[in-house]
Amino acid sequence: MMRNAVEALDRLAGGLGTAVLALAIMACWLIAGTAALFWVGLPLLPAVLSMTRAVADMERSRLSRWGEPVLSPYQTAIEHLSWQEALRAARRDPATWRDLRWLGLHATSGLGLGLLGIAFPIMAVRDLTFPLWYGMLPETETTSTLYLPIDSWTGVAGTALIGLAWPLLALTIGPGMATLQALPGRRLLAPHPSVDLSHRIAELTATRAGALQAHAAELRRIERSLHDGAQNRLVAVVVLVAAARRALDRDPATAGPALDRAQDAAETALSELRGVVRGILPPILQDRGLAGALTALASDCPVPCKVSVGELGVLPLSVETTAYFTVAEALTNVAKHSGAAHARVALRRRGRTLRVEIEDDGRGGAAERDGSGLTGIRRRVAAHDGVLTLTSPDGGPTRIEVELACVS
Amino acid sequence: MRVVIAEDDALLREGLALLLSGEGFEVAAAVPDPDAFMKAVAEHQPDVAVVDVRMPPTHTDEGIRAAVEARRLHPKLAVLVLSAYVEQAFATELLAGGANGIGYLLKERVGRVGEFMSALERVAAGGTAIDPEVVGQLFTRRDGPLDRLTSRELEVLAAMAEGLGNAAIAERLVVTEGAVHKHIRSIFAKLDLSPADRVDRRVAAVLHYLDA
Repeated sequence: MMRNAVEALDRLAGGLGTAVLALAIMACWLIAGTAALFWVGLPLLPAVLSMTRAVADMERSRLSRWGEPVLSPYQTAIEHLSWQEALRAARRDPATWRDLRWLGLHATSGLGLGLLGIAFPIMAVRDLTFPLWYGMLPETETTSTLYLPIDSWTGVAGTALIGLAWPLLALTIGPGMATLQALPGRRLLAPHPSVDLSHRIAELTATRAGALQAHAAELRRIERSLHDGAQNRLVAVVVLVAAARRALDRDPATAGPALDRAQDAAETALSELRGVVRGILPPILQDRGLAGALTALASDCPVPCKVSVGELGVLPLSVETTAYFTVAEALTNVAKHSGAAHARVALRRRGRTLRVEIEDDGRGGAAERDGSGLTGIRRRVAAHDGVLTLTSPDGGPTRIEVELACVS
Repeated sequence: MRVVIAEDDALLREGLALLLSGEGFEVAAAVPDPDAFMKAVAEHQPDVAVVDVRMPPTHTDEGIRAAVEARRLHPKLAVLVLSAYVEQAFATELLAGGANGIGYLLKERVGRVGEFMSALERVAAGGTAIDPEVVGQLFTRRDGPLDRLTSRELEVLAAMAEGLGNAAIAERLVVTEGAVHKHIRSIFAKLDLSPADRVDRRVAAVLHYLDA
């Protein structure tokens, strides 16, 4: 109950943030729209449109963190179009008009609800502590919250009692207010039901193809490491043992070196097999869980690395594996290329989203080339309805963020 | 007998060289990639080359291509190709220029030193050695005419496809050479193949038939 209230206040405050932005953008629309009446403002409109989309996307990812993911509905990206084309594309896209409706609602009712939401804790603190500081008020201030006269001891105590009412309000109607505040976003920012499915199907087709490709590349890698690694080693064992045996028949003294090498080859084969198995499904995931496996990865990393793992609950194995390989790949890159002195790995779960962050203080400038390990990871992540973001300006820091949907 | 080895895996290359020199071969060169192999063949003019299928740069079928190319440049060169797994398509490619002096075996056959040596010597002498696994693949893909053969005849056909001569077939099946001869005539008749005397022609005919 308490947690629900705190969460509700957190949501209302977050909503207030986007609501303030929405209000600012409404003002921009007003200015650009007025200017557009005299033609000069027309080229401004795509910029305002982009800002609208940016705030709408912020709201989408905010809402997705708290429940059902809200997918981006845009049919065309307008960033790289000329302003005329951008306007035409936006006018055709029903999502534009839904965005604008949301903007109006969120900038007004969303703002109000958000303000009310953060008022609860502030008022609670104010009124509960009222008996401690009311003496310092100037004489003219003689009423408190709800215009209770405070000229008497009962008035002061009454105010403190009202202070108890605020948390109670937060407990009872807080969650409802948060839901109400989120409602326009959930209704209007998600793709319109008619376009939703076709969009989703296109996205699923693409991510499925990506997943299959990543899977095939993975199988190829495994086949390679088995055939060219462990199997070659075993053949060498067979050949060396055969040579030793023939040597035994001729001159037993000459068999030793061949046998020594056969043993070396067999040991190498074993360690290569372990490597292959680790590359398929790291046994440590099963033995120690994701947190333990990541700690082990971090301690293997030559760059000092701090791991923080929040409460994850039960995760599907495929999500765990993907998170593990993402961190493994990222830390390999940190060790190989970044020149960093420290690295940091953080995992958090919020609702149905698992968030993985890997950051280092190295030289940055990391780029994702085709065929690099990161591309494979990106495909894997996409198959989980997730996103991988790589930011690595020259001079650092490099930061990889991955969000995975935890639905099995 | 002079031999050149091409194998990218250092340990295996060393092992092969050790084994072959122990068996009385003169290992003229042991090299890790196709380019070095072509140079070594030109320089040492070996009697036989032992070549791994997967070599740098792509680790796919470099060995097959190197073997085919080496035989184009040095028609008398016998080549035994070793592979981690057998692919009948590779065998077909190798045999396209004739089956004499060609071998295609699984790597681990090397461990059966006696059999491996006789296969290597057979190839060096202009014969053929095809891995039983390849022959097995060809057999499983066929039905129809092969059903007309008795199980003994199928065994003889498999041994023929591997490149064994009549004497070796007789030894493997523990029968007389005369009996082998009779089986072979019967097989050729049943499969409508014209009888061939030379073993390599016979292998080519049989493999071609199976692959058709």
